[in-house]
Parts: sequence; C-alpha cells; structure tokens
Amino acid sequence: MGSFEFEGRSVTFRPGDTVASALYRHGVRTFSRSLKYHRRRGLYCGTGDCPNCSMTVDGQPAVRTCTVRCAEGMRVERAGGWPNAERDLLHVTDRLHRVMPVGFYYKTFVRPRFAWAVAERVIRRAAGLGALPPTASAARKVVRHVHVDTLVIGAGLAGLEATREAAASGSVLVCDEGLAARSVAPGSAPDPIEELRTAVASLEHVTLLDEATALGVYEWLHVPLARAGELVHVYPSRVVVATGATEEHGVFPGNDLPGVMLGRAAAALAGPHGVRPGDRAVVVVRTEEGVQHLQTLIDAGVEVVATAVSPALVQRVPEGAGEIVAGGDVHEARGGSSLRSVVLRREGLGKRFECDLLVLSLGLVPRDGLARMALPGEDVTVVGDAALGVGIAEPGGLDGMVCMCEDVSMHDLEQAWDEGFRNAEILKRYTTTTMGPCQGAMCGRALSCFAASRDATPAPSPVAPRTTARPPARPVTLETLAAGVHEIVDRRTSLNELHVAAGARLDRSGGWLRPFSYGDWREEYRAVRERVSLMDVGTLGKFAIAGPGAGDLVDRLFPCRIDDLEPGRTRYVLTLDDAGYAMDDGLLSRVGAEEWFLTTTSGGAGRADARLRNLADRLGLDAHVLDRTAQWGAINVAGPLARDLLERLADDSIDAASVPYPGFADLSVAGVPCRAIRTGFVGELAFELHHPRRRGPELWAALADAGRDWDLMPHGLDALELLRLEKGHVYIGQDTMPDDTPAKLGMPWAVDMSKRWFVGKRALERMGELPMARRHVGLEFSGGPRATADLRGEPLLVEGQVVGRITSAERSIVLDRPIGLGWIRAVDGGFPDRLRTGSGATASVVTTPFYDPDGGRMRG
Amino acid sequence: MAELRTDLPQVLAILGSSDVCDRVEAPAGSALLRVAPNEAMLVGTDDADGVRADVPGAALVEAVSDAWTSFVLEGPDASEAFARVSELLLPEAGWLQGDVAAAAAKVLVEAGTITILVPANLAAHVEERIRADAAEVLTR
Repeated sequence: MGSFEFEGRSVTFRPGDTVASALYRHGVRTFSRSLKYHRRRGLYCGTGDCPNCSMTVDGQPAVRTCTVRCAEGMRVERAGGWPNAERDLLHVTDRLHRVMPVGFYYKTFVRPRFAWAVAERVIRRAAGLGALPPTASAARKVVRHVHVDTLVIGAGLAGLEATREAAASGSVLVCDEGLAARSVAPGSAPDPIEELRTAVASLEHVTLLDEATALGVYEWLHVPLARAGELVHVYPSRVVVATGATEEHGVFPGNDLPGVMLGRAAAALAGPHGVRPGDRAVVVVRTEEGVQHLQTLIDAGVEVVATAVSPALVQRVPEGAGEIVAGGDVHEARGGSSLRSVVLRREGLGKRFECDLLVLSLGLVPRDGLARMALPGEDVTVVGDAALGVGIAEPGGLDGMVCMCEDVSMHDLEQAWDEGFRNAEILKRYTTTTMGPCQGAMCGRALSCFAASRDATPAPSPVAPRTTARPPARPVTLETLAAGVHEIVDRRTSLNELHVAAGARLDRSGGWLRPFSYGDWREEYRAVRERVSLMDVGTLGKFAIAGPGAGDLVDRLFPCRIDDLEPGRTRYVLTLDDAGYAMDDGLLSRVGAEEWFLTTTSGGAGRADARLRNLADRLGLDAHVLDRTAQWGAINVAGPLARDLLERLADDSIDAASVPYPGFADLSVAGVPCRAIRTGFVGELAFELHHPRRRGPELWAALADAGRDWDLMPHGLDALELLRLEKGHVYIGQDTMPDDTPAKLGMPWAVDMSKRWFVGKRALERMGELPMARRHVGLEFSGGPRATADLRGEPLLVEGQVVGRITSAERSIVLDRPIGLGWIRAVDGGFPDRLRTGSGATASVVTTPFYDPDGGRMRG
Repeated sequence: MAELRTDLPQVLAILGSSDVCDRVEAPAGSALLRVAPNEAMLVGTDDADGVRADVPGAALVEAVSDAWTSFVLEGPDASEAFARVSELLLPEAGWLQGDVAAAAAKVLVEAGTITILVPANLAAHVEERIRADAAEVLTR
C-alpha cells in the first residue's frame, strides 16, 4: 500500500495499481473533460489508446493514467475544466453545438480581422489537455543508436513468436510498451506470454527493451523508441510490427458517458486490479475475448443485468449474464454526469436497462499505424492481431462521439459530408477526426467506415479507406523529441582558453565561440588605431588549392583578374553565385606556380570548401583542395607599431619589400613557422600570422609579452565592428542582401568583365543592361538616438516612404561623428542623398572609406 | 565500462590523382584512409618527405596533424559509449567516416579500440558530448 496526491486529497494504491485503477477504486468517475464541449469523460479503453484518462502527473500534462504505475508521493490532477474538471462551467459549450459546428473556426471570426486574434486566445484557454509547466526545465535524455537485423515492435504472443523465429538468423531487438500491453488480457492470458518471454530472453542475440514506445517508422527503416530516460534510435534491416489490436470503439448516442467502458478496461479493473467497475452492468459481447471479459465481471461480483451477444456466441455466455439479447445492439446510453441506463435494440425493438456500467466487447481493430508508415518496398512485416483487416461496417446511429480526442460526432461527419468533404482524408482534415492524441486508434475505423458507407463509388475490395498514418504513433514529450539535438555546435580556436583566462566576453559568431571584448572595447579600438593589438582570427576559412588545374579553378571561381597575381602577392576576392550575387569574400594568395592559399570569412568556410570541390569536379580540373581551417590558427597583429612588434620576434625580414602590401611571406615568429599576410580590414598596418594550430598559445603569449611595453592588448569583435566600419568595409551577410551584386555593393573594381568566364558572369552581363534599383552606401547621421548603434536596422525614408535600411551604425571614435552603412532604393530614377531614419535622425549619403581614404596607414 | 582518452594524432594528407592515391602505402604503425578518390590520409605518421619520395606526382603532401584531435574509446562498453554519440554502424575492424556528435569524423576500429578523429576546432565540443551522453558507461 502506498499513497499519492490527487487534487489535494490522498489516494491509496495497491501493488500493481495504475493511477487510473487507484483513482477508480477511490471513486473517481470523471477522469477528464473533452476538448471542445467539455463533456465528462470516464475511464474507457484501459490500454493507453484513448485520451479519456489523460491527466497531469507530476507536472507533465496529457499522461494516460491507465498506463502509469502508481508511485509514492506522485501528484496527479485533472486538466481542463473551469473552475475544475468536476464542476466545469465551460460545459455550457455542450449546449452550443449550433454555433460551434464542425470546422466553425474556419468560418467564423473572419471579420473584423481582430476578432480571430481575440477568439483564438479564448479558444486556447478553454481547450487543451493541460498546461505545459512554464518554469520546469526539460530533463536531459540520453540518446543511443542501435543497429540490429530485426526489430520486433510488441512483445505479446505474436511478437515473441516472431522474435524466436528471427533470432535463428540474426540479432533481434524486441521492444514493448510494457504496462499497457501486459494488462490487455486479464486472467490466464499473461502466463503464456511470460513463459514465452522467458524462453525468448534466453536466446542468443535477442535483446528485450521494456517500456519502450515506438514513435514511428521513418525512411530507410529508422525507428525511434521513447523510454523514460532515453531515446533509442534503432536502425534495423527488418521490422516486425506486432502491436496487437485495440478494441473497437462503439458509436451511439451517449457513448462517451462515464460508465461506458471497453471490455479490456472493465476486465482489467475487475480482474488484476480487484476493483468492481460498476454495480449493475449491461455487456455487449461480439468476440471470444468478450466472453472472458463477461466471466471476469461476473466473478468480481458485478450484477450483469443484460448481455447483448452475437448469435454465434450465445452458447458461450456463462451463468449470471442477466437477460440475454441475442443479436442485440446498443441503441442509446443515457445519463447525466454518468451512465444511468442503456437501451438495447433487437429487430427494431428497444428495451431499457437501468445500469451504471456498459461494457463493450465489439471486436478488434488492428493497431497497425506503424506498419502503414513504412514506404513501399521496405521490409516491414505485420503479425498477430495487428495484421487483422479493417472491413467495411455500417457505423452506428445518427449521433454519438466518433472522435473522443477532438469531440467530433457522427452528426459532425454527416455535416462535413454534406458540405462536400467526401473522402476519409479530407474528412479527417476538415473535422480533425483522428488528429488528436489517439491518432485514430479509437476513431480511425469509424471514420473509414463512415466514408466507405457513404461513398457511392463501387469499391474494388471491401476494405475501408484508411487515412495516412504519420509519426508520432504515440504522444511524445518535447524533451524526448529534443533528445540528442544539439543545434549549437561551437568551434573553438586553440586560443580559447587564453581568452577565457583574460576575462573575455565570449559569444557565438559564424559557428565559432569568439571574444567580443576583453573589457573596454573602446580601449581595444584605440590600441589598434594608436599602438598595436592582437586579434584571434583563427576562425577564418583557410584553404590550400594545389595541382596543375589550381590556377584555372581560382580563375573561374573568382570574378577578378587572377592570371597577373605573382607568387607572394595577395588579392581581395569576392565569391559570386551563379546568379551573380555576392556570397562571401576573402583573400587569395599565390604560393607557387600550382599552389594558392585562400582565406574566407569565418562563417563561409564550409560553403567555400564545397564550392571549390564542386567547381573542380564540374570543370574536370586537376585541382585539389585542402581545408586548413582546423589545421592553422591565425593572429592578426594590427596597428601602427605592428611591424615594430614583429621585428622583435621575427627571424626574417618583415619590411615592406619582404612582406609587401598586398602580399605575404612565410617566416618564423618567435620560432613558430608563420605565413604572414598583409591585410587592410581594420585600416592599419596589419599582419595576419597563420600558424600551426597547436602552437597558437605559444605564439600569442610571445606576441603579448613582446608588446607589453606598448601596453599591447587584444581586441575583440566589438572593436572590429567600428574599425572596419570606419574603412567602409562590408560584412557579407550583415551589410548585404541575398541579391547584392558587386555593382550594388559599390565594388565594380572586384570584377573583371573582360575575363572569358567566371561564376556569375553571364548573370552580371544581363543585369548590367538594367538600371540599378538599389545600392549600398556610406551614411553619416545627425540627430536621432543617443547611441548611434541603435540606428542599426532602422528604415531609411524619403517623404515618409521606406526606401532603404541601415545595416551598420556606430559613432566613429577617430572622426567623432556617427557613421554607418546601409542600402537605398532608387527614387524617381535617382538615388536620394538625404534621408530620414525611422527614429527621426537625418542620414546623409557619403563616400567611403570614412577613415584614411587613400589607405596610406594600412600600406604602412 | 569504457575508458575515454584524448590524443594528438599524427596525420598526413595526400592529395593527387586517383592513380597517385592508389600507390600510397601505409608505413608500419600507421593506417591508410582513402577518404576520397583523389585524397588519402595516413594516420600514425607525419613523414611528408618519405611519402613524397615514395609517391611522386602528388599535388600536395602535407602533415595535417594540427587539424585533428583523436578520442580513443577502450573497454567492453566502448561500442556502447560510441552509440551514444553516433548512428554509424561500426565494422569489426577497419574505418569509416561520418557524423560523430555533429562533427565530421573519421572512425578507426581495431581490437576493441575505437579511435575517433575530429577536427581540432570541434574537439572541445565532441569531448563534452561524449562525456555527457555516455557518462553512465565511461569510467570516471
């Protein structure tokens, strides 16, 4: 014996109890409220298939309590209902069917337009299966990947037999939902299963995975299994679906009243759990299993007042089954908050029986959704009850709940049919039948039978049209779906630990973890402009391109002239796509007759690698690409004293003749072999020292030590933002649009249209004949927000019309005025030179660079 | 249980025509990985001059050890630990390439030892993932 808390009350439970069985013993009959009409819902299937017993357990909503074993101290409460599920005032919606017909939200609240926004909020609050805990953090679930020859889903008799067979020819993983499956058939049924289970478990190459729920069958036979603490990805060569069958859902007026129950639920309560499901029962028996259920109820002391039984089973009905109505059917169930009576009908004549329990054993419906998710040709076999067919049956009367998840009645289906939704798939979409938590386990057959029975088209075979089965087959928590998903993968340079030790503020940029500032970014900026500073640029994409075809490859990839680039020299390159739009930029250095070295932006390295290899393949060039991004680190030594600093450490000459601008030299700095590339991104004398990654910390420390008397300090991305802005250099991506051409960017000099061919040339030729509709410009601001950086992202307006946007903005320290970059559209055939920003500042178009326009400082 | 060890491997990249790559042989103590028709890797050596002499005509022969970090899983649960971070189906012995903890990796398997080579700039990430996701099967 133990106890758990249910809505402030203590509920005791016995060994083997589920939450639902303990609550039932405790007298709870209303387990939930329905989604739309807030109708009372009682325990119904007992096998985890229907939504009725869904409650919030330990803060997790929508838990099917018939599948959860009780645990000491757990907290359980019913979701939905206002003020509570027992006395729910929102039940008034059950009187409003006329104004809330099926699909009402497609037709109402359309005008005025704000109506839907209001209605949606109200509907959301009124509906739902409980609230997600707003503060709880998701538990971390372990992910495992398992490769097996055969995966058997379901460890009932059929599944275990299939396992035994498959084990003879390879490895087998057999998974089982556990609790629900084993409580299916009370009485003697579990024994043969346990016996077979023990035999199978002893076989070599067989692994049993308990309480594992198969979520779906994905392409190439990938089956994720959800378990309490893990998500197991299984990659089998073959899948055997042995998921059994659900009991058929009966559709008749009053079929969702508390007290109406499927046979397995009633028998599980009366048998294993020792709870009488009712005092006076009416039982409908159409299967052999139903006869067992009836016997179990009688044995438990339930007074069976009437049994409607198929003629073929009349002789099997045990003593104590009350009035036998052979060939009878349920015409109607009546009651208020719970069942009070049932009308049985035979040959058109009805008879009413007072009762508090109606038990339905109507037949079996294959639980074959997983099998139907597989693609044609995939090795998926269905065995046991899951292989049962779904014939066409005449659905019930004119009313009754078809879909208990979404509150769709037979009347609703009729209405949708009359509106023209005339096959199972579009009935499903319009009415949302089968789209609730049960995913059609209860209502799928009823929907299919309804569509088949109404369809006048002669069917080729007596099989009801099934709707498409899609994952997840069972409700799944978001934390399970998120298991193993790590969207943020941080690359780190070899200097990362030094940055951390220096107190840098690190954040993500271009897929890397990078220092944005080491304290005061303005001081870092001044170090670059006035003295010397270091920056970790190991994040840049770095590629060696070698081979007899390497020259052709770079010549055809980049739009600028390449053939005149001498060994030891470097050139700025734009990368265009086939449409002539700028994708990336970088520096191309010629190392030798057949070897080149390319640096790209940090975020563009992956694309550059793919693009280089792809183009070499397409053109059949004997060119080879080695990605050195991970192999080499890089430190930018920038500032007017950069050369002085390197002279203290370099074993080789680094004067302007030895390391020209723009150019590079391979030399040794503090004993570390480096490729020193002259760059101009920050607008000062600068050397990018590319070096073996593992020696990065050693080089950084030597440089920092050598510059100590100049108060050397590193700079991060915050300082770089202003340094490059003052030079008018764009960040591809931040300052550019996806359809920016070199001309729009004001960079026609980066293209040599006299070249025979390069990627994007044809597109540039075509666009060159068109007037330019937009261009990128330098801006200076007056007025507006106090912090110039706040202007970034603001629109640019002319006479109240938006004609552009600010892409970068900051107050220049060296110029002492606010500057920025942005793009503007042509107005009346020309480009405006004075605009307003969204916050009211004045923006004037100016030429760039803002700082050191003749480039004398970076040339050194 | 499984033991996780981090190593700095010696790796050599050989880029050249498929004919050139076909002629590359693994020196003793190293493993040859033919990662593409025109690209080979030798793990366990960084003797670029030796390979250049043995296989003339390569476009580029370069020691790329700095580009890689290796994680070695050993012990009875090495495969189980690996399965926590990758869906790759490991061979009994040999090598393959694919996704390990969201990193493009080369995986070498021999005699109960799994060696995972990942780009050095992702090493911290991969190590964190292995240690977190396979915690229950790793020795501390």
